[in-house]
Amino acid sequence: MIGGLVTPTSGRIDVDGRAVGGVPPPAVGYVFQKDTVFPWRTVRRNIALGLEYRGAPAAEQDRRVREAITLAGLEGFEEAFPATLSGGMRQRVALMRTLVVEPEILLMDEPFGALDTHTKLGLHAELLTLWEAKHQTVVFVTHDLGEAITLADRIVVMTRRPGRIKMLYDVGLPRPRDPIRLRETAEYAREYGEVWHVLGEEFRG
Amino acid sequence: MTDRARIVVWRLVILVLLLGSWEGLTRIKAISKTPGLYWLDPFFISRPSAIVERFVYLASDRVRLSIWQMALSTVQSTLWGFVVGVSTGFVVGLVLGRNDRLARIFEPYIVAFNSLPRIALVPLITMIFGFGIVAKIVLAWTIVFFIVFFNTFQGARSVDPDLIHAARFLRASERQIMRTVIVPSALAWTFASLTPSISFALIGVVVGEFLGGESGGGLGYLIIQSLGTLNAADMMVALIALGVIGIVMALGIKQVEMRLLRWRPEYRSRA
Repeated sequence: MIGGLVTPTSGRIDVDGRAVGGVPPPAVGYVFQKDTVFPWRTVRRNIALGLEYRGAPAAEQDRRVREAITLAGLEGFEEAFPATLSGGMRQRVALMRTLVVEPEILLMDEPFGALDTHTKLGLHAELLTLWEAKHQTVVFVTHDLGEAITLADRIVVMTRRPGRIKMLYDVGLPRPRDPIRLRETAEYAREYGEVWHVLGEEFRG
Repeated sequence: MTDRARIVVWRLVILVLLLGSWEGLTRIKAISKTPGLYWLDPFFISRPSAIVERFVYLASDRVRLSIWQMALSTVQSTLWGFVVGVSTGFVVGLVLGRNDRLARIFEPYIVAFNSLPRIALVPLITMIFGFGIVAKIVLAWTIVFFIVFFNTFQGARSVDPDLIHAARFLRASERQIMRTVIVPSALAWTFASLTPSISFALIGVVVGEFLGGESGGGLGYLIIQSLGTLNAADMMVALIALGVIGIVMALGIKQVEMRLLRWRPEYRSRA
């Protein structure tokens, strides 16, 4: 709804004081759950897409794409086609493709859902670092409580169908966070327990 | 010997055996009361030595219309029919594939025309376009158009909607979505239809040449003329030439396809 893909049945959504309707608001970027990297474009040209659509000058496109590639640790894969990359790398391309146009609001729909834990933790670290630089608003949907606590300032627990807000929970963990060491701390365990208790009620139905 | 070399050797052995027995069996007289009867009658299938002889003759400048000129004419008509068919099929497929209402309006006409055996059109096309090269191009076009059209149509319809959403979030205009998402996505389907298209274009042209007479020339004309003179050797020359042309053109298309679709995993290993 924030992205304008679905219209709300009632009420309205404002982004930056402007009602959302039909088309995605300009300040919003979206990282999909599914892999939406264009298979016929190389890594470099995938990341350049947003800049190309905006008609950015070639030199600027080049510079920003190169920065993004360095930031995501994709050096050496600039001219690779997505089919040759792992799932984690493809999702990193998708993330950089969205971030390179510097959205103020970043929507992420289970972007790491299909990845293994190891790759996921690596991407958490990267996302946190990227966020520290720009402090965008991120709306992140996940089924992984650990992921939510690692990344979020505030967790919104939804009920099962019909999806309603069940709880708002503010995560008190200090930043910057290290996704691996964080999980060893007592505060992490305590927060996890508190939210898990509420989630558990949902699971029992 | 490597596995590859062994396969090549076997292929050569089979070729030699085939040509040898063809040559041999058309020379051995059958033991029979009727004189002049062969194990395999060279009147119908000729024999390799005679075919080579006729080829040398047809390739020389002692004939009015050399085999080279005929082959060139056939290749020309085929390529033209192919190019025209692919480009029109692609455009129409793309337009109808992205426009549901138009697709539904035109569907019965397309199905009806496509179920018409194209050979039945040959006399009509000849009547309209005459005996020259145009009739052959039109005939090849009527076949190629539909192959490419159906593939592109399917391709344009099956574009992943999430890719379009993703482009929209990156603020692509409708034009840009067409250019960067729909066309490349549909092209993958279109390319898959190119190899059969070139073969069918060749079929269309040869059938056209059967009726076209000398003015259009072509290898199809050589075949029909050989039927008139009951000359199996000339017919074989034309058939072998058509086979070579068919293979070369199909391989050429395959090369282009592999180059343009190198992003696809199934082409990557071979590209």
